[in-house]
Amino acid sequence: MERLGGFLPNRFFSNAIPVFFSLVGVALTNLPFSVFGSWIPSPLYALMPVYYWCLVRPDLMSPGWVLLIGLGSDVLSPAPIGIWSASFVITYAVIDRQRDAFAGLSGWGAILGFATATLIACCAHYVITSLYLWKVMAVSGSIKEFAVTSLMYVAVLPLLGWTHRKVVGPLRSDF
Amino acid sequence: MGNGGWRISRSRGRAHLPLTVVAVLAVALILFGKARSSLFDDARTNLSDWMRPALSVTRAPMEAAGKWLSSIGEFFWVYQENLRLKEENARLKQWHNKALVLDERLKRYQLLLHAVPDPAMSSVVARVIGRANHPFLQTIILDAGKANGVKPGQAVIDQRGMIGRVYLTGERTSWVILLTDLNSRIPVSIEPNTDQAIMTGDNSPMPMIETLARGVQLKADAQVVTSGDGDILPAGIPIGVIVPVGNTYRVALFADQTTAQDVEIVDFKLKPEHPPAVTQQELPVTAAGLPPAAPPQPGAGLLPQPVLQPPPPVFKPPVQTQKPATPPADSGDNDVPNTGNE
Repeated sequence: MERLGGFLPNRFFSNAIPVFFSLVGVALTNLPFSVFGSWIPSPLYALMPVYYWCLVRPDLMSPGWVLLIGLGSDVLSPAPIGIWSASFVITYAVIDRQRDAFAGLSGWGAILGFATATLIACCAHYVITSLYLWKVMAVSGSIKEFAVTSLMYVAVLPLLGWTHRKVVGPLRSDF
Repeated sequence: MGNGGWRISRSRGRAHLPLTVVAVLAVALILFGKARSSLFDDARTNLSDWMRPALSVTRAPMEAAGKWLSSIGEFFWVYQENLRLKEENARLKQWHNKALVLDERLKRYQLLLHAVPDPAMSSVVARVIGRANHPFLQTIILDAGKANGVKPGQAVIDQRGMIGRVYLTGERTSWVILLTDLNSRIPVSIEPNTDQAIMTGDNSPMPMIETLARGVQLKADAQVVTSGDGDILPAGIPIGVIVPVGNTYRVALFADQTTAQDVEIVDFKLKPEHPPAVTQQELPVTAAGLPPAAPPQPGAGLLPQPVLQPPPPVFKPPVQTQKPATPPADSGDNDVPNTGNE
């Protein structure tokens, strides 16, 4: 692709796609409809692209973007501001530190890896919310959220993989 | 499968914001959000206002799909359900007639007793255009806002009972905190002894009864209504019935917040109640300017006479203006203290 005065459209779009996917995930999670029924929380769709690209291409999913994705989740949900941001950053930090261990997983092990990341996010969210409200919260909501998010990753992962192979990869010249 | 079959990149690319800086920013964000929550609330309401047309359009198919899914199981016992509903309908008609008779009788009694009528309440009918379901927060979004006269704090009810109360209002949308939400606290009154308590949500389907006076024993199925304390919510809105759970009491809600579609936002504003004007005949004799009563004759009776006390302070209602009452210049002889009623 040609360079347009210092601006590389391909690079820009390849950088934007993971963030775009995460923001779509934020919107889907906070869509004010109970697709899964009223007593099952919405899955954390935004965590899926964060986890995926943090492992596959961490340069496309930087900590700053993760903070902004968390902030988007905070604003769209009726939760106190900053809690999802902090939870996402904590999860990102753990994934980043243990990247080799997570990236080496395949098959159902990879699903288990994502379930671990979800568990970290849900635990962080639970602890921060409990501290914020200074009240011991019921864990049932977090457990349900963890379970439904982990299950939904099985359905979303092929889409993320396809997008990375067919769209993000060809757009990057250094791939 | 785990990584979509793509090779793992080892490169980090250009330098990004360090993780520690981002972590510090996240903590700062929490503190800032706690200090200036209204800033983000405005963003939320603006967003819901902006999304309102889309939410209204997408609501119908989503609700239809939800209803269709939930009705699959009901298809198999629709006949029994029909019989049960017919029987219930017949019973309710009897109660309806009885309620009409009692309502008329109550009105007559109130008229006879000159009872202060219940404050008039207006309401806005709104439609549920969204439900947010998160682990610690349960809210719904309505398609009525400031433009329709909706204000934060107003009660939201459906045909069965109270659902929650408004906590954020946009121009055309409002966010409702449900009774089951963790942040919900409602002053309630429990029939028949009108025991006062606070009902708190804990994200379970049945909110908990708290702050109940010591020693109070509640009965199962006792009705719970709003108490009206604090003049925030109107008194007497039905909420649910008591369900004892171990040593605690919970409330089985009348309204089903998961199926509520059209709701009412009750505009309740208790008007200040002014006492009726005091007539001359009702005033104590001294305050009315009449001569004091003659002292009792000694030995007039065998029983000891009660000691006469100075007349109690008299409330003088303001005549025309709402200015604070000042003692009249010519009342210095009796030096009536301020009653504090103004």
